[in-house]
Amino acid sequence: MEASESTNPIPNNRNSIVSSTPVWPTVDGPIGLSEDESLSYARRFYLFGFALLPLLWAVNCFYFWPVLRHSRSFPAIRRYVVGSAVGLAVSSALLCSWALTFAIGGEHLFGPVWDKLVLYNLADTIGLTGWN
Amino acid sequence: MAQNQRPTSILDSLGEEIIRILTPVSICMFSVVILVSILNTDSSSSSSVSSIATIAYSETSSDSSWDKFVGALLNSLVFVAVVTVVTFILVLLFYLRCTKFLKLYMAFSSFVVLGFMGGEIVLLLIEKFNVPIDSVTFLVVLYNFAVVGVLAVFMSKVAILVTQSYLVVIGMLVAYWFTLLPEWTTWVLLVALALYDLAAVLLPVGPLRLLVELAVSRDEDIPALVYEARPVTHHDSDSTSNGVIQRRVWRERRNVSHDLADNMNSSVSNSNSVGIDHNDTRLAGAEEGQVVEGNAELSAPLLDHRMTNNQHRPEDDASSESVLLEGIGLGSTGAIKLGLGDFIFYSVLVGRAAMYDFMTVYACYLAIIAGLGITLMLLALYQKALPALPVSIMLGVLFYILTRLLLEVFVVQCSVNLVMF
Repeated sequence: MEASESTNPIPNNRNSIVSSTPVWPTVDGPIGLSEDESLSYARRFYLFGFALLPLLWAVNCFYFWPVLRHSRSFPAIRRYVVGSAVGLAVSSALLCSWALTFAIGGEHLFGPVWDKLVLYNLADTIGLTGWN
Repeated sequence: MAQNQRPTSILDSLGEEIIRILTPVSICMFSVVILVSILNTDSSSSSSVSSIATIAYSETSSDSSWDKFVGALLNSLVFVAVVTVVTFILVLLFYLRCTKFLKLYMAFSSFVVLGFMGGEIVLLLIEKFNVPIDSVTFLVVLYNFAVVGVLAVFMSKVAILVTQSYLVVIGMLVAYWFTLLPEWTTWVLLVALALYDLAAVLLPVGPLRLLVELAVSRDEDIPALVYEARPVTHHDSDSTSNGVIQRRVWRERRNVSHDLADNMNSSVSNSNSVGIDHNDTRLAGAEEGQVVEGNAELSAPLLDHRMTNNQHRPEDDASSESVLLEGIGLGSTGAIKLGLGDFIFYSVLVGRAAMYDFMTVYACYLAIIAGLGITLMLLALYQKALPALPVSIMLGVLFYILTRLLLEVFVVQCSVNLVMF
């Protein structure tokens, strides 16, 4: 059932027992975006997230959380938000696994490259840490 | 008998509004205190940053008190002069309708603040705690953080919470940088800026007042950084299907111009060894809107995000400034706006107090909150934009001096003799 613009905006009725379709697609409720704008924003965030910006996908998921949570609402927006969620899961899994491998593996996994890649050594080499 | 709705008390409406502006201020101050107490313990006044604020006199610990005071006074005068010039330039640019340039400049400055200054501070923390993170991950995370921050603050409309958090983070980063200035310079600078704020907003020739009047007369938005609290929805306003629905949209331009002006202030911040200089100016301008909808039609007036744009410009040899919003204002819907410059300088005061001891932190925090409360009361009384710095800064400085001179001796003696605490 498609949620339509109602004449009586109910702010954030995610806890209502009667209906589970939200009126407002954004997490801000009645002070957020309307449905048409939400579509363009969701699409834009989804596309821009491909520029190595998983945080933008996370912001997208957070912003349109009512769309994500109620599975039958706003089908047009939902496509992009679910895409963002999938992208976020994949990229954060990749990043976390790399970071954890690096941190836990340490020297005996990487060899001398570890010392060159780790941040505090690199910063010392470039000289970023001193103020002057 | 089921009671469905409590009558709204003044605590619900007024208290809620005040809390919604006090919470981010407190969070900003608290995080600056934490940063300062973690990072600044070892480096004392020896390694202070050279910046515009120390151009006239750089403090060494061997000077006498009078010398330090005179030097700090010179520094502050130079700084305030630079800030005034920059604000007038901003007024000129705004008068010539160069808003696109201003907005681009502000985007770039925000990116510099979040990316370079934030990155530098995180680097210091990583070094302090020896976190074994690698450069690739760090770069990716930092890039994400900076780009999403720039988008959230003024290029796009994102969730209110995200925008507010990024504004608080920007305030925190800039405030931490200001605490790196030498001690006397910081205190005299704070007092000088409070006085400048008072003059720039209330005098008819003040640049901030000119800017706000320009914006109001043209019904445009001032490009500035301002923190806007979420509007409080009152339960007694019911909307019927045939009635006029008043929809308070966050950060929305209003149709009817309201006379709210915050003061604008520009301050130049320091430069670091990486070559990125950051200046922030405080710009105040607050206009809020209220959309009146008729006949159950939800018009969607999307806000022009240029309303709160902050400029951050990297410092060249000439003075550069960024436009932050300073001052406090009220929207016609009642949501309180507080300029980011206020956040920054409150946090600088508390951060500098933290460099001495935590006792001064408590005293200064209470003083600042009291000052903010007084300013809010005055705002409700006068219904026009007011400078938010003077009352709080004066109270804060007074409490710092009193605590350091009188309270500390008392408390230490009591503790040593196991009388109290």
